[in-house]
Amino acid sequence: MLKYDFLKAADIAIDASSLQKYGGLSVQTAAVSQDAGEVQKIRTTCRACISNCGVIATVKNGRVVKLEGDPKNKMSRGRMCAKGLSGIQALYNPNRNKYPLVRVGKRGENKWKRISWDDALTQIATKLLDIKAKYGAEAVMCSTGGGGNPQFTSPARFCNLFGTPNWFEPGCAQCYLPRQVAYGLMYGGTDPSIADSNSLEIYYADRTPMKSLCLWGTDPSYSCPGQGGGALVELRAKGVKTVVIDPRLTPDAAKADVWLPIRPGTDVALQLAWIRYMLEHKLYNEEFVLKWTNLPYLVNVETGECWRAGKSTHPKLPDTFMVWDKKTNSAQPLEYPWNDAYDVALEGTWEIDGVTYKTGFQLLKERCEEWTLEKAAEVCWLDADMIEKGIRTFCENTPGGLCIGVATDQNPNSVQAGMGAVIIDLLLGNVEQPGSLLQRFGALQPTDFSVVPFCESKLPYEQLVKRLGGIEYKGLHMWHAAHAPSCLQAIKTGKPYPVKAWLDRSGNKLAVLANGTEWVEAMDNLDLIVHMYMYPTSFSAYADYLLPTTEWLETNYLQQVCNTVSIRQPVDHLYETIDECLIWSLLTQKCAELGDKDCARGFDAEYMGKDFPCWDNMTEVMEHFTKRYLNMTWDEFKEASKDGPIEYMPEEDFLHYYVYKDIRPETGKPRGFNTSTRKCELYGECFITLSRTGMPFSGEPLPPASHDYDPLPYYMEPHESPLPECDLSKEYPLVMTNGRIPFYHHSTLRNIPWLREIYPAPELWINPETAEQYGVADGDWVWVESLRNKVRAIANVTPGIGKGVVYMERFWNPEKLNTETHGWKEMNVNLLSKSDAPYNDVVGTYTLRGYQVKVSKADGPPEGVWLEPRDFRPWLPEAMEHTPELSKKEVW
Amino acid sequence: MKKYTFVIDVDRCIGCKGCQVSCKQENGVALGACRNAVKTVGPMGVYPNVQMYFLPSPCQHCDEPSCVEVCPTGACYKDPEDGVVRIDRNVCIGCKSCAEACPYKVNTFNQELQVMDKCNLCAQLREVGEEPACVKNCCGHALHFGDINDPESEVSKLLKEAGEEHVHTLRDLGNAPGVRYILRRGEWVDVLPQDCEETKRGRKGC
Repeated sequence: MLKYDFLKAADIAIDASSLQKYGGLSVQTAAVSQDAGEVQKIRTTCRACISNCGVIATVKNGRVVKLEGDPKNKMSRGRMCAKGLSGIQALYNPNRNKYPLVRVGKRGENKWKRISWDDALTQIATKLLDIKAKYGAEAVMCSTGGGGNPQFTSPARFCNLFGTPNWFEPGCAQCYLPRQVAYGLMYGGTDPSIADSNSLEIYYADRTPMKSLCLWGTDPSYSCPGQGGGALVELRAKGVKTVVIDPRLTPDAAKADVWLPIRPGTDVALQLAWIRYMLEHKLYNEEFVLKWTNLPYLVNVETGECWRAGKSTHPKLPDTFMVWDKKTNSAQPLEYPWNDAYDVALEGTWEIDGVTYKTGFQLLKERCEEWTLEKAAEVCWLDADMIEKGIRTFCENTPGGLCIGVATDQNPNSVQAGMGAVIIDLLLGNVEQPGSLLQRFGALQPTDFSVVPFCESKLPYEQLVKRLGGIEYKGLHMWHAAHAPSCLQAIKTGKPYPVKAWLDRSGNKLAVLANGTEWVEAMDNLDLIVHMYMYPTSFSAYADYLLPTTEWLETNYLQQVCNTVSIRQPVDHLYETIDECLIWSLLTQKCAELGDKDCARGFDAEYMGKDFPCWDNMTEVMEHFTKRYLNMTWDEFKEASKDGPIEYMPEEDFLHYYVYKDIRPETGKPRGFNTSTRKCELYGECFITLSRTGMPFSGEPLPPASHDYDPLPYYMEPHESPLPECDLSKEYPLVMTNGRIPFYHHSTLRNIPWLREIYPAPELWINPETAEQYGVADGDWVWVESLRNKVRAIANVTPGIGKGVVYMERFWNPEKLNTETHGWKEMNVNLLSKSDAPYNDVVGTYTLRGYQVKVSKADGPPEGVWLEPRDFRPWLPEAMEHTPELSKKEVW
Repeated sequence: MKKYTFVIDVDRCIGCKGCQVSCKQENGVALGACRNAVKTVGPMGVYPNVQMYFLPSPCQHCDEPSCVEVCPTGACYKDPEDGVVRIDRNVCIGCKSCAEACPYKVNTFNQELQVMDKCNLCAQLREVGEEPACVKNCCGHALHFGDINDPESEVSKLLKEAGEEHVHTLRDLGNAPGVRYILRRGEWVDVLPQDCEETKRGRKGC
C-alpha cells in the first residue's frame, strides 16, 4: 500500500461504463483545444484564496502548463502569489477526488467503492429524506468553509430549500461575520476588510489623497499578497503612514510607522483607550459627528433606547430623534437630516419628566472613562507612549482609514472589536470621502455578481426559529447561519433536538474547528456524513460518501473587480468532478424526484422569483448574472473577456464619493447611510433591537435573546488569561495566537509540493527570552500544549513576538491520511483551541486565539510527517484522464 | 557592454515568495532546488524595537563570477552579449564546484537531473520579449530587471531616483556582484543570503 495515496489505497471498483455515462456533466471546456501542439492563452480568475486575482492560463494540448498574472485586472495588476501559481499542482494533483465514492468499511477505516453520480445522489437523498421524515428537516446539517473554491452560499441555499435552518461554517462567527455585523448595523455599508477585497480606495494609489492607514489585526502582505498586499506597497511608497496593531512582526508591521504588538485578545481595551484619547484631545471630526452620527441623540438611560419624537411616515426617511438644544436649553426634535436653528449638545446628562437622558456621545465617553493610555498599556502589554504615537499618527493624518482584520473575530470579544473599529474611523469622519476605506462605490448601480441567492425567505418561520443558537446569537442571521458549538451539542446530546446528517463542502473541518476531537467523538451519533471536496482530507476519513468537486481551474464564476467583471472559466476538466454549486442543486433535484415537495418547489420559477430556480448546469447559473448585468449570454461574455475584464460601469461613475450626501429625489433629502436612522449609529441602539427581535437580519421578528446586547463596545478579558487572576496561567503561562502565511489559505494546499517545500511544518514563534526560559532553541521541535491537547511545531525564536506570547499557523498532514491519525493530530493548532463558553453575546464566537498554552522541547517531529522537499514528490502532477464532453441529457 | 541584472526594491518586497514559485513553474526547477530564495534579514534588535526586511537572493550575475572561474567543463559561463551568468546543463557534470565557489550560495543543485541549476534571468522569456517570471508576477513590484549600463533603461532610472545612498549590493568578495538592492526605509545589513536563519526551521533551500 502506498501510504501517500488515499485513493489508491481505497477499494475502488472501477466501472468503465460509468465513466462514459457520468462523465462530462455540462462543464464545457470547449474554449480549450486539445489538438496536439496548439497553445492557447486563456483569461481566468484565481480562487486559491478569496482574493480572485486575474490569471492568464497557458494551455497546451488541452493541459494547463503555465499560470501568470493578468495585468489587466485592476486589483491584482498582473501579480500572482505562491498559492495561485501553484494552481497546476492542485489541478493535476494525483490525489484528486476523481469519482463519487461510498464507504465500504467502517468509518475511519478508509475503504471505499466507486459508484456513479446518480447512485451517490440517490442514496444520499434517500437517507436525507428518511431523516427528515423521522426527525424533521432540522436534523440535517450542512457546512462549508472559506478555503478552496467555494460557492459560499450554495449549501445554505440547499438548506433553506430543504427546510433545515442549520448550516454553519468554521469562519462566520470566527471570521468576518463579527465585523460585518458591526459595520452593517452601524455604518450601513461594506466593511473595510482588505482580505475580503473591500477597501477599494487602496487600488487607486495614483489618485487617492489618503494619508494614513491603520491595519488592525490584518496583514495583507500575507493574507492577500497579489491584491491588498501589493496595493499597500504602492500606498507606502507614496508616503501613506501606517499604524499596525498585531502581536506578530508581519511584513506590514515591519514596514509600519508605528507597530503596536498587542497582547492577543485585548484589542477592545486598546480601542477604548484610543477612543478616550480621541475624545479627550478632540481628535474627532466634530461637524461629522454632530451631523452624521447618532451620538447627539438623547438616550433613555434606563432602556438604552433613543428618544423618538416621532415615527417616520416615509419608508426612505428615518424617525425623528430628540437632541438637546443649548440655545433654548431644552430637548428638541431634530428632523432628518439637520436643523441649523439648534445649537446641538454633543455631551450631557439631563433629567426630563423623571427620566434620565444622556447623549450617545456622553455614554460613549463614560464607557471609555477608565481606559487611560496607562491602563491600556498595562492590559495590552504595550508602551503608553507608543500607543499615543499610534493614535496621533492615524488621527492627525486624515483622510485615511482603519482596516480591521480577522484577528479580533477569533475570540469572544469579537463584535465589540468591530464596533470599536467603526467608532474610531467614523469619529474621524473617515467615510465616503476620497482617501477613506469605507465607501459605497458603484452604489448607483448595485450588483451581486455570481452570489447564488441564499433563498432565506423560503425557509418556513417554524424552521427558522429552530436554528441552533439562532435565538441567543442573533447576529448569525445576517448569514442565515447556525452556531457551530450549538450544532455540536445537538449532535452530542440530541438537545434541543437530534442532528443526524452532516453534509460538508470544505477542506479539513478537523483542522479549522476548535477542538476537533469533540466533533469526531460526536460523529457516532450521525447516520450520514457526506464530504465533497477536490481531494481527500482528514474529514473524509470519517465520511460515508465522498463527492469530487472541481478545482478553480475547472470552474465558472464572475468576479467583480472594481468597475469591471472578470471571468473564471474551466480551462481543463478532469475525471468526474463537478462544481459544488451544481452538486447542491443536483441534490435538491434528486430529493424532489424522490418526492420531497419542499425541494420540488426549488425548480418552480414563479415560486422562486428573485432567488431564481435551481439549475442543472453552470452556464445557466452564470447567465442569471451575465444577462441581468451585462446583457450577454455566457458565450458572449467568454468571447468579450478575451481582451480583459469587462467594464460594467464607467470608472468615474463607479468611484462615487459622498453617497450619503446625494439628494434622494423622492424625499428631497440626502440619502444618508443605510441604517435605520440614516446616520452612522455609533451609539448602537440597533444592537438592542437585534437582541430583542433579530431584525434587520432575520426577516421576521424572533423571540428575544436572554439579555439585550450592549449598544457600546466593552472589554472582556480572555477567559483563559495570562493574568495572575486566572489560575490556569500558572500551568499554561503563554498566550496563543494564529495568523496567516502566504503559502496556504485556511486548511488548503498542504498537499502542494511547491508550497510544502517552502513551509513544511508549522512554526511556533517564541520570543528569545521566553524560549530560553523553556529551554527551547531556534529550529527545535517543540510540544505546544493547552488544557485540551498537545501538538508539535518547529520553534522560530524571534524578537518579532512579545514575551509570553506565541504564534502558530494552522496545519494538517495529508501524507498521513492513511494512518490512524488521518493527519489532523500531529501539528494541528486547533486541537488546542477552545470551543466552549464564553461565547460572544451577539454572534456566539468561540476562542481560536487568545487562550493559554505551555511549550516544551520535543525529541523530534511526529512520526511519518514529510519535511524534506523531495518527500513531496508523490504529489507532483500526474497524467490525468480528461472528462469526456457529454451533455446533461446523456448524463441524467 | 550590456549588463543585465535585477534591481530589487527591498522596501517593496513583502516576503510572499511568489517569485520562488513562479520561477519553479517557468523553469521546471526540481523540488529541493531554488534559484531565487527570498531570505529574511532579521528581525534584529530587542522586541519591540526591531527591524526586518526581505532579501530576494537570485544569482547576482557578477562581473567577475567565481562560479565561471572554477567550472571545470565550461558549462558555467558569462554571456558576452548581456552579462548574464548561465549554466549549460548539457555540459554540466554536477560537480558542484560552482556552488562551492559562489560567495552567496545561490547556485542550486537539481537532484533529478544531477546538474547545477541557476537563474539565467529567464533567457527563454527574454528571447520572446517577455520579462523573467519572477519579475512579471512580483506581488510588490519589487523585482525589476534590465541593463544597468544603459542610462535610459527603466532600472537605471530607478537606481538614479533612489539615490546612491540607498543602493546596495551584497558584500563584494572580489566578484563584483551585479544585482542592485534599493533600501530607503531602514538600515542595510551586510549579511550573506546563506547566513539568514530560515533553513534551521525546515525550509531547506527555500
